[in-house]
Amino acid sequence: MNNKKVLEIKNLTKDYGNKGFQARVLKGIDLTIYENDFIAIMGPSGSGKTTLLNILSTIDKPTQGTITLDGQDITTITNKELSKIRRDKIGFIFQDYNLLDTMTLQDNIALPLSLNGVDSSICIQKSLELATMFGLKEHLKKYPHQLSGGQKQRGATCRALITEPKIIFADEPTGALDSKSSRDLLECLKNVNEGNQATILMVTHDALSASYAKDVYILCDGSIQCKLSRGHDRKEFYDRIIETQASIGSDFS
Amino acid sequence: MSMLKLAFQNFQRSFKNYISLVISLAFTILIFFNFQNLIDSHIFDSLGEAVFRNVEIIIQIITIVLICFMLFFIWYATNVFLSKRKKDIGIYIFMGLTNQKIGQLYMIETTFIGLMALLFGIVSGIITAQLFQMILFKLSDISIDLQIGFSLKSVLIVSAIYFLIYLIFVCKGYINIVRSSVLEMVSASRQNEYVRQNHFILIMKTIVGMGFLCTGYYFAIKKGGMDTINNAMLAVVLVIVGVYLLFGGMIPLLFQTLAKRKTFLYKKERNLWVNNIIFRIKKNYRTYAMVSVLMLCSVTALATGFAMKERHDGIVHFRNTYTFQVMSPKKDLYKDFSELIDKNNDIEYSGEVSFLQVDSSYIDERFKNASYGFLSYSQVKQLAKDTHFTFDFTIPKDNEYIRVDRKTLMTIITDNTHETIKINHQEYQIADYTTTPYLGYMQEKTAFYMVNDTVYQQLKSIGEEFYLYNYKITNPYHFAASIQDIQGHSDCMGLIKMDPQDDELQWVRILYSLCIFMFMVFVFASGSIIFMKLYNDAFEEKERYQVLQKIGISKKTLKHSITNELRFAYAAPLLVMTISSYFSIRALANMVQTDLLMINIISVIAIIIFFTICYFLSTSIYQKNAGIKS
Repeated sequence: MNNKKVLEIKNLTKDYGNKGFQARVLKGIDLTIYENDFIAIMGPSGSGKTTLLNILSTIDKPTQGTITLDGQDITTITNKELSKIRRDKIGFIFQDYNLLDTMTLQDNIALPLSLNGVDSSICIQKSLELATMFGLKEHLKKYPHQLSGGQKQRGATCRALITEPKIIFADEPTGALDSKSSRDLLECLKNVNEGNQATILMVTHDALSASYAKDVYILCDGSIQCKLSRGHDRKEFYDRIIETQASIGSDFS
Repeated sequence: MSMLKLAFQNFQRSFKNYISLVISLAFTILIFFNFQNLIDSHIFDSLGEAVFRNVEIIIQIITIVLICFMLFFIWYATNVFLSKRKKDIGIYIFMGLTNQKIGQLYMIETTFIGLMALLFGIVSGIITAQLFQMILFKLSDISIDLQIGFSLKSVLIVSAIYFLIYLIFVCKGYINIVRSSVLEMVSASRQNEYVRQNHFILIMKTIVGMGFLCTGYYFAIKKGGMDTINNAMLAVVLVIVGVYLLFGGMIPLLFQTLAKRKTFLYKKERNLWVNNIIFRIKKNYRTYAMVSVLMLCSVTALATGFAMKERHDGIVHFRNTYTFQVMSPKKDLYKDFSELIDKNNDIEYSGEVSFLQVDSSYIDERFKNASYGFLSYSQVKQLAKDTHFTFDFTIPKDNEYIRVDRKTLMTIITDNTHETIKINHQEYQIADYTTTPYLGYMQEKTAFYMVNDTVYQQLKSIGEEFYLYNYKITNPYHFAASIQDIQGHSDCMGLIKMDPQDDELQWVRILYSLCIFMFMVFVFASGSIIFMKLYNDAFEEKERYQVLQKIGISKKTLKHSITNELRFAYAAPLLVMTISSYFSIRALANMVQTDLLMINIISVIAIIIFFTICYFLSTSIYQKNAGIKS
């Protein structure tokens, strides 16, 4: 496995509230993500999953600690550089797809690339390639309202991948999908990851989704409780995740 | 908490958000009030009955336009209030309020906003009324005693009309809320089912629209003799329909075709704003078309004003060429009259000329005049020399004449093909045409034809010769002192005397300044309509821009995209107006027989400047409303 570090989190803490009324949401998290990793972060509600993802995706700022993305400390740089990092190095997948309803699927997929000023022929070629890979080739001319939830989410994934980001942050990507569509999407993500095309960090509460990842971190009360690794059998991995969830006992959602 | 209290608290909280809307509404009321006040304050009474009636008609037309404008403006404004409140309103539903109660809440709250705007508008209107009248009369070059004060009647009329329109739309909003479902209000979710429009229909619309527009342009500039008015009316209808079809057909067609060509589309922000325009145009094309037509009206109004003014000045010039014109059947009396005038006045310049008065039964021409006069070339040349007018005509041949014409305010006959005239069964061709006032006021009353001296001698057989002695004195206001002396002369058959203070065409000058105001009002209205539309749209776009920001697209890129989109919103109607205005002004120029190209260019430039300001303001506010700029 390639050992190039993509994301390195050191002693990450985050406090909310004013002086005297402070609540520590993240309590010194250390996490290193290497190229081509597929990591899932699980945790009960209130464990700090969303806060962690917000900080990692540069939307929020940490109280303490450093985050190094592709060799650059993103906690100290200016807003302008941050937006450049968001644009070039990070891809996002959301629970509610967030495709623009004003344009066709192909336009949606090609949007980030074309906004970066990439030549139109490359935009067309890449959007076609990704759509083929995600089984969306026949739907490229359709508008989001003409697509099913699964198709929309796969489209959103294509959009996240088209700029070839260093890392993809997926926030509950299967949250709004039925089990069949979820499985289709996760297979796609897995294939992309195994084809050495993407490093993925996924936040989820769903054990099935998590079992598609290579490693699962369980977050509880603002710190990482344990790490589970897949091995070869996904079914067995799924059972282990369920067991761990049960042993922690909190509500996972 | 009572309903009223809750509504008032909402109003206080949201007032800051609505301030720009309130100001715009107030401004509309201000303008409306000022025009209404102009009629009601009886300020024109002192200018005489004719002036008053003419001006009143014009102001009434302006008022109708203003009411229409107000209607649209309130429509947009109440729409903004509604869409902005709808989400908050959803929360009340969960608190157990019925739709009716929420509707009432909305009505009370919106009424507060409306009253606020009305108050601002009327108060500022009263404050500016004096200034407005001063500017109007200064522009019209009329001195009048302005009284401080305003008419209560206009306050009531303006308030009543405004509030009636406002109430209608508030009720519309109430019905909208009562009828809407809970889900719709909470999520305010929109399903945009039909982003693209049917290609075939668009092509049909484009073809028909272009056909209408081109036919309209053709009729506008066609020289049609007596049909000019009909042609102009036809052109107006055709152009309006054409513009609507153009925005409803050609522009969506153009952008949809462009969006299909991905090599074109995937260039920087183009992907975003071209798609946005396609999405928006279906709802907005009527606005664009309306604005184009409104601007076209404004340019035409301004040109009409200027044309009238120019004509008016021309006519005044005719009248002021000479102070006295003495007509006599006897020749060589020039010195006699000079001496009489010299007694009490100083002569600035003078000249004499003879003309043949011919009965119209001898003349055969397409449009017959009441009386005909013939001049001899050499005499007019001499007169021009004495009175320092330019005279650069060659001697007409035996079968030719030079038309020495008057100026009229407006003529419906736009073609001058009737160039052949039969005098006593003999045909004469036109050689040249002039409106230089060689014969002063006489030229306004009689149709003069200048022929060479030989022909003049021949025509003496059918006409009666008169001598005209013309004098301009240095102080025309002192003209009365010489009247007695001149009229006392035994050979004075008729005297034309010019009183510089007697100006029956004063209303033209008022019309001129009203036209300038009308231009400003129309331009302001069209700019504001687009502004309001975009202001409204920005709220709907907020969600989309949030999504784009979430997926990591920088604010700078989004701002670029917005700039491009809004540029289209302002430039498209501007372009259509610029092209159409060329034709409408040409049509007008034909009717008033002056060159109005300069006015056309200046007014278009003025609109472009105003629109550029609106555009920059719009971009800034749009970014704010769409949540890109804090």
